Amino acid sequence: METLLDFARGPLFRLTFIIMILGLLRVLILDIYGAVEAYRRAGDKRLDWKNAIIKTLRWIFPFKSAFAQRPFYSALSILFHIGLILTPLFLLAHIQLWEDGIGISWWSLPHFWADFLTILTIIAGLGLITGRLASRGARALSRKQDYFWLFILLIPFITGYICANTAISPSAYQAFMLIHILAGELIFVLIPFSKIAHCVLMPISQFIITLAWKFPARVDDKIAETLKKKGMPV
Amino acid sequence: MKAILTDVTKCIGCQQCVLACKDYNKLDKDMPRDWHRNDGLSARNWTSIIHKPDEHYIRKQCRHCIEPACVSACPVAALSKSPEGPVTYDPGRCIGCRYCMIACPYGIPRYEWDNPVPYIQKCNMCYSRIKEGKQPACTEACPTEATIFGDRDELLAEAHRRIKNDPDLYIGKVFGEFEIGGTQVLYISDIDLGFLSYPVRKDTPVLPETTAPAMSAVPPAFFGMGAVMGGLYWFCKRKERIKREKEENKE
Amino acid sequence: MDRVKTFKSILWALTGLAIAFGITRMFFGLGSVSNLSDATPWGIWKGLNVIPGIALAGGGFVMTAVIYIMRREEYKRYSKITVLLAFLGYITAATALVVELGLPWMVWKPIIYWQHHSALFEVSWCVMLYLTVLFLEFIPVPMEETERLAKLRIFLNKYKIVLVFLGIMISTLHQSSLGTLFLITPEKLHPLWYSSLLPILFFISAVAVGPLMLVLAVMTMSYLYRKPLEKDKMANLAFGFMLVLALYGLIRFIDIISAGKLPLAFDGSWQAWIFWIEILLLLVIPVALLSFKKMRYSTPVLWITSISAVLGVGLDRANIAGIMLIRTGPVYIPTFYEISISFGILSAAILVFLFCVERFKIWEVKWEDPLEKPEAPPEFGGPADVWLGTPRIAGRTVYSLVFVLALALGFAMISSERIQSAGVEKVPASKARGGDTLFVDGNLDGYGTMFAHEDHIQRFGDKKSCDLCHHMNIPLDKHSGCYECHRNMYTTADAFRHDWHASPAGAKINCDKCHQPGVQRTASSAKTCDKCHNDLVAQNAVIKFEENEALSYTDAMHGLCVSCHKQKARVLEGKEDLDRCPTCHKVRDLESIPSEIKMQFIDTTFNHVVIPFPDLVNRVKIEAEQDG
Repeated sequence: METLLDFARGPLFRLTFIIMILGLLRVLILDIYGAVEAYRRAGDKRLDWKNAIIKTLRWIFPFKSAFAQRPFYSALSILFHIGLILTPLFLLAHIQLWEDGIGISWWSLPHFWADFLTILTIIAGLGLITGRLASRGARALSRKQDYFWLFILLIPFITGYICANTAISPSAYQAFMLIHILAGELIFVLIPFSKIAHCVLMPISQFIITLAWKFPARVDDKIAETLKKKGMPV
Repeated sequence: MKAILTDVTKCIGCQQCVLACKDYNKLDKDMPRDWHRNDGLSARNWTSIIHKPDEHYIRKQCRHCIEPACVSACPVAALSKSPEGPVTYDPGRCIGCRYCMIACPYGIPRYEWDNPVPYIQKCNMCYSRIKEGKQPACTEACPTEATIFGDRDELLAEAHRRIKNDPDLYIGKVFGEFEIGGTQVLYISDIDLGFLSYPVRKDTPVLPETTAPAMSAVPPAFFGMGAVMGGLYWFCKRKERIKREKEENKE
Repeated sequence: MDRVKTFKSILWALTGLAIAFGITRMFFGLGSVSNLSDATPWGIWKGLNVIPGIALAGGGFVMTAVIYIMRREEYKRYSKITVLLAFLGYITAATALVVELGLPWMVWKPIIYWQHHSALFEVSWCVMLYLTVLFLEFIPVPMEETERLAKLRIFLNKYKIVLVFLGIMISTLHQSSLGTLFLITPEKLHPLWYSSLLPILFFISAVAVGPLMLVLAVMTMSYLYRKPLEKDKMANLAFGFMLVLALYGLIRFIDIISAGKLPLAFDGSWQAWIFWIEILLLLVIPVALLSFKKMRYSTPVLWITSISAVLGVGLDRANIAGIMLIRTGPVYIPTFYEISISFGILSAAILVFLFCVERFKIWEVKWEDPLEKPEAPPEFGGPADVWLGTPRIAGRTVYSLVFVLALALGFAMISSERIQSAGVEKVPASKARGGDTLFVDGNLDGYGTMFAHEDHIQRFGDKKSCDLCHHMNIPLDKHSGCYECHRNMYTTADAFRHDWHASPAGAKINCDKCHQPGVQRTASSAKTCDKCHNDLVAQNAVIKFEENEALSYTDAMHGLCVSCHKQKARVLEGKEDLDRCPTCHKVRDLESIPSEIKMQFIDTTFNHVVIPFPDLVNRVKIEAEQDG
């Protein structure tokens, strides 16, 4: 068990964490590169910068639009996001691990607030699952992935809370800790290859959407040619 | 030229010299490392005592060759031979190429393998002390006068005198008098000290002289190659021109 | 998958791994990734990348001489590729040097600090000058992409012949000076390789192998991109330089025979075997196969001969730069990290090569990337048949993914042990042998001391005296042995169990119980154990509790015994010898040691000098047996 924990904290953590960071960087670079290439080839080079920026900002801080339609669900979602980002980033135990490993540390949450945020995140997450299941429209739009993500994001929070706050036998403690770490690492690996990549892509997605409609000149011919349907009615 | 004479028969292996060296040069704590050689020297141990069977203790340190291979090898002159004799090292010039370690016939320079900003480390015969007119820390610390400091000529004479007085005890030779151009750290001993250096044959030349002919051939080789190529170029062009003219004439 | 795509993916993966290890090397020193040592200061990076890399880049100057000076116009279409090969060969060597040099940011220093006796000084100048020349020779090719720099391009092309001359002259010096490097080691290099002709031998072999490297590169290109091969030209080129290779063999054997070293080649040692392998690869195979006109023009023969010659010259350089240098330490076996960095640098260079071939007019005409053929079908991938863009974008997606995964894998593979205590010999301390007299010898090397345990107990007042020395004990164990906490022979060990103290089932205490809030949390700033466990250290204990970390075993043992012995030596009549090393480490007569050499030595330096006499082991063992 000890060796497993050491492995999960050491090499496995390095592997998954770097996959996450570089993977996100890769997605970002590839998308920007693609967008630039599309812009270079675009027939119509006029871009509605102002509109795109406003729309992007509106998506990043979605208070106005979100609360208009499903205020409760949106509030839960925002709380969930806050807990999801703040808790792991500013938890004392995590910072301690960083300091032991490479000697960097930063401000940490007080114990009480860390516990509070953890419980808040768990409740918000459960609320989001219920929200998805309850509304027929949302249920129809949801993929398996969407449920899976809510579920797997909650595992580290629940196990982390158990480890930090309850008196359990050392072997159970270690087992929960292992699940906590492994689930966290699974999340790391999946982030750059799934919808969670929106954490870095959000700011540029609006531009890419705008660009997508700027086809180069005579692109229709080329598409037809590629699909071997030249001269045929589309 | 200053020198150190070590009399192996007098050494009792107390390591006072090692301690004095560590203290004076402020060398850091050491521990066994994978990259050490088994002679006790390391980046943090500039001198060491090698124990050989039958209570023989041999102090190993930089030999301060009269014609040092390391000095001739160093591309940036970080190692230099000072007028008083010690071979000193200037870390400000070093680029970390470790060619001196390849060149040294005694395997003396050591490297800080665990340091992200690594330097060469070796004995400098306490050069700062010598400049002050003092003797090196190690010879000063020796309680039995097994290792003494002085002018090379005087020490050589002393060494020969000791050998002459007690020819049964000593091997009849001063180690470091002539080998590979001679060194400034001399030994007299009752056992063979060949293990202190790489196998040296009788005809092993003074090391800096091995590269000297090749190095002095550099300018002639450079311009010679240029001249040869120039000649070839002219010849080929001419051949081409003659061929072309012939073809034109035919037409 | 496509040939090119597979090949490039592998190269990207190797590059990623190497970058991870390279970063580690930069931050934690050479010892953290390599097995280089004081006995083997130059390793695989020199032997595989730097020195052979430059030999194989020799094609640059040889082919420019053939094309521009001997005016063999039929090879002109290979001029750009050969310059590119040489350029990348030198870049490879320079990159390897950045990893290999201890202080790579000082690499420019030979420019200002001159030392013209040094062969390495000449080498570094040649590298810098020739890199510049190669750069100027190659730069017109990418310039063709844009019209803006046309004037400069035309200017450079107009005076190309000057660059060609300079390149040849500098290369002559450089190839030979690499041989000069090893002239200074007559007593270290194996006689079969050492020769005063080394500079000349290096030069000739580089002249011969450079063009064969070009043949290999061209054949690889034609395989990867499915282009027809100009077999007759390649064969003629290989044949021509095979003659140079034969000349090299002739000179080398005449040199060996005239120096009377030939018997060494038949003495059955492993060096002799490697010598014959080298001769087989470098001389026998190419010369034998290329001599026959019929075989010369077959593709397999060209493959075999070019690969064999390239490997042969690589082996020759590796032998001289490392394998055949005498060592006194343990045998040098490069670590996985070292090998990986070596291959990573090569892979990156090949990737740049392929990029240039695809992107620029290296072959006089621009090579179409097969991934961007207009008739190539669009690629779809993944379960949802997501459109991956044009095939080229699909390639980009794959390469970057492979690269990221390899880089992460590389970081995961770095052993934290190597980084935290690089090179420290891991010696776990062991329990002292029991009985009235303990044999205190933590690393079991026989170099220890007989400790009269029973005697000490009686002298200090029976069972009550245990906590004099046993200053701490672990739960459920009274008077734990020293090794329980001082677990490592030479490095400090952590005696504090964070897991247990923090766990709700254990002590269940918060971090700030021991670490003051606001202060950096380290072992030294934390509250010491005896603040809570006040029974851990007795009032009259010899060692007061000062640190949270358990000292190394050697330091702890010396610290415990020596301080007491020193004190007693001063107090007790007739026991002045107590504070002398040989009192405990019995190796020689006390009488022969002058009395002024006392424990004062060990007392101040037990931190410093660790192994005084490695070969005392057997003697102490015998004494231990005699003592019973």
